[in-house]
Amino acid sequence: MGVLKINGKEKQFAEDKMPATIADLLSILGVDSATVVAELDGKIIERNKFGQTPICSGQSIELVRFVPGG
Amino acid sequence: MIVPTRQHADIKQILADRGLDGSGRDVWNKRLGEITSAEVEWALSRPPGYYVLDRLLTLISPVAESYLEQMAQLAHSLTLQRFGRTVRLYAPLYLSNFCVNDCIYCGFNRTHDFPRVRLTVEQALAEADIIAGEGFKDLLLVSSEDRSFVSVDYLAELATKLREKFSSLSVEIYQLTRDEYEKLFAAGIEGVTLYQETYDRDMYRRYHPAGPKADYDGRLSAADAITQAKMREIGLGVLLGLSDWRLETLALAEHAHYLIKRYWQSHVSFSFPRLRPARDVDRAQFMLVSDKNLVQMILALRLCFADAGFTLSTREPAHLRDHLVKLGITKMSAGSKTNPGGYSGRTGAVEQFEIDDTRTPAQVAAMLKTHGLEPVWKDWDSAFTSI
Amino acid sequence: MDKLIIAGREFNSRLLVGTGKFSSSSVMAQAVEASGTEIITVALRRVDITNENDDMLAAIARLSAKPRDRTKYLLLPNTSGARTADEAVRLARLARAATGINWVKLEVTPDPYYLLPDPVETLKAAEILVKEDFVVLPYINADPVLSRRLQDVGTATVMPLGSPIGSNRGLKTRAAIEIIIEQASVPVVVDAGLGLPSHAAEAMEIGADAVLVNTAIATATDPVKMAESFKLAVQAGRTAFLAGAAGKTKHASASSPLTGFLRDQ
Repeated sequence: MGVLKINGKEKQFAEDKMPATIADLLSILGVDSATVVAELDGKIIERNKFGQTPICSGQSIELVRFVPGG
Repeated sequence: MIVPTRQHADIKQILADRGLDGSGRDVWNKRLGEITSAEVEWALSRPPGYYVLDRLLTLISPVAESYLEQMAQLAHSLTLQRFGRTVRLYAPLYLSNFCVNDCIYCGFNRTHDFPRVRLTVEQALAEADIIAGEGFKDLLLVSSEDRSFVSVDYLAELATKLREKFSSLSVEIYQLTRDEYEKLFAAGIEGVTLYQETYDRDMYRRYHPAGPKADYDGRLSAADAITQAKMREIGLGVLLGLSDWRLETLALAEHAHYLIKRYWQSHVSFSFPRLRPARDVDRAQFMLVSDKNLVQMILALRLCFADAGFTLSTREPAHLRDHLVKLGITKMSAGSKTNPGGYSGRTGAVEQFEIDDTRTPAQVAAMLKTHGLEPVWKDWDSAFTSI
Repeated sequence: MDKLIIAGREFNSRLLVGTGKFSSSSVMAQAVEASGTEIITVALRRVDITNENDDMLAAIARLSAKPRDRTKYLLLPNTSGARTADEAVRLARLARAATGINWVKLEVTPDPYYLLPDPVETLKAAEILVKEDFVVLPYINADPVLSRRLQDVGTATVMPLGSPIGSNRGLKTRAAIEIIIEQASVPVVVDAGLGLPSHAAEAMEIGADAVLVNTAIATATDPVKMAESFKLAVQAGRTAFLAGAAGKTKHASASSPLTGFLRDQ
């Protein structure tokens, strides 16, 4: 069983469903990567590296995107 | 209309761009001649203290001469609002009349033959005692370019010793580097007065043929060094009579505006030294400025610079000073001696120029009171800036 | 109309528009178009991973899907939500990572009621971000000394508020803004609280370089028309400023003449 903290909330994954990379995670969550910025354990990950950045249980991920604002 | 630009150009570039270093003399004179009454009225309706070059241009134009009374009323209210019913009093202490410069207009010109005097630190302190005895707490140390004797170390030593008796110390001396100004600041000097004399390069060359002061650019950049050294007060001015006073006023204002924007923590003051009779100086060669011109310059600048200090020395005659205190002047000297040792009368040295208001400080203070103004002897405390 | 220059980049429009509070993304996009703006602000928020229908965001994505292409609008991410300098810096870095654009509207608002900006945290964040090569546009209360301090650390503009965000009360801080404008060496963008086109015109008349409007457009009955109205107001105000609008005539108080002595000469 793997656990990831996503946007401050813990989410559990069955072992075989654990996302291997950030790209995997986004696809599992159904989030379009085009407009998303990701931070893994406080470090900003560039979008073109989503497919190459591995994630493991216990890590903390922030997914942020642009929204309307003043 | 010139739209104010917000570029970080230096003052040399600004003056050149605007043709206010003498290069645009004819253009400016033509524009001055074309100003209309409607433009003057526009300028007068602008908020007090609003400065753009065009507004000042209008206020110093020949046509504006018919509006002097209105300008005076506005300037008077504005000064009252910003400065209250007070005028600061200070005294100059001349330290030396040895000089290495050759300024055509000055009594201390190195080519003039007369016995020169320098005050030792002890002698200067003795003079200062007399000045303090008159009630002054604000002292201006003045010297001609006598760097070998009136050195930075000398000034720092003198300032340190003067701090107990005087709450405000400033200098009007040859120009220094930023480091040197910082040294003086650390010793307790909070202000520097340095006149460009004239912003017109050709005139500058004519009147300063030799000596370190002949360097126009060096002189112009000194104000930056002064403000970078964090001096709290900086005094600007032109020597009225060297060149066309209207164009000089424009250049002076641009210089002030530049410093106010760039060095926002330093307070800018204007002085209005008019050429006075001096030993061995032939006054026929100058463009003398009338009382009316002087008043117009003061009023125009006051309407554009609401918070600048306006200083008037004893060069001007008593009756004129009495009228000018109501027109924007915020600081005056009194009972001045412009010869080193003059207060004690011991050395009988030559003056830089003849003063005209020979009243004692007490008499000047009394005059101010009759105009409903309070003479302020002390407005600062060195405890604020010294350790 | 003379161009607005911020950090060396030229713009034709002096109206910046915020994209928040619109009823729908398509209305937002149309209003932005009608305003003639070239700079729009966006915020950064955590993705709501439980909600797949993020419709509002698509329009923004369309506007800036390929940020490295030349688009019509400069996206100006704001750090809204940040309550400390650290949070603001973090958001700015995230925003830059998302778009490659290094412009940021610095907004540090620990006060959740009036959304007033924290001067201390803003100055702190500005200094850090300028050093990291961001083009910083700081949102502040109309404080002339703070404006000078921010310019000293190198921000590209200052953005003083007219009145609290969303209050639509206009230029309540006019006197202070006038001082800021007088003393500024960088463009001054009046941001927040401009509720009517006349407020925007007023800001421009007194010499502001630009204004930023969001709530007044987004919550108008007809946002597209309102956006157009703001566009015209900003142009009118700027033209008036350049024309040298006459101030109210100051009637000098009658008192004894001050220059009579000159007549005797």
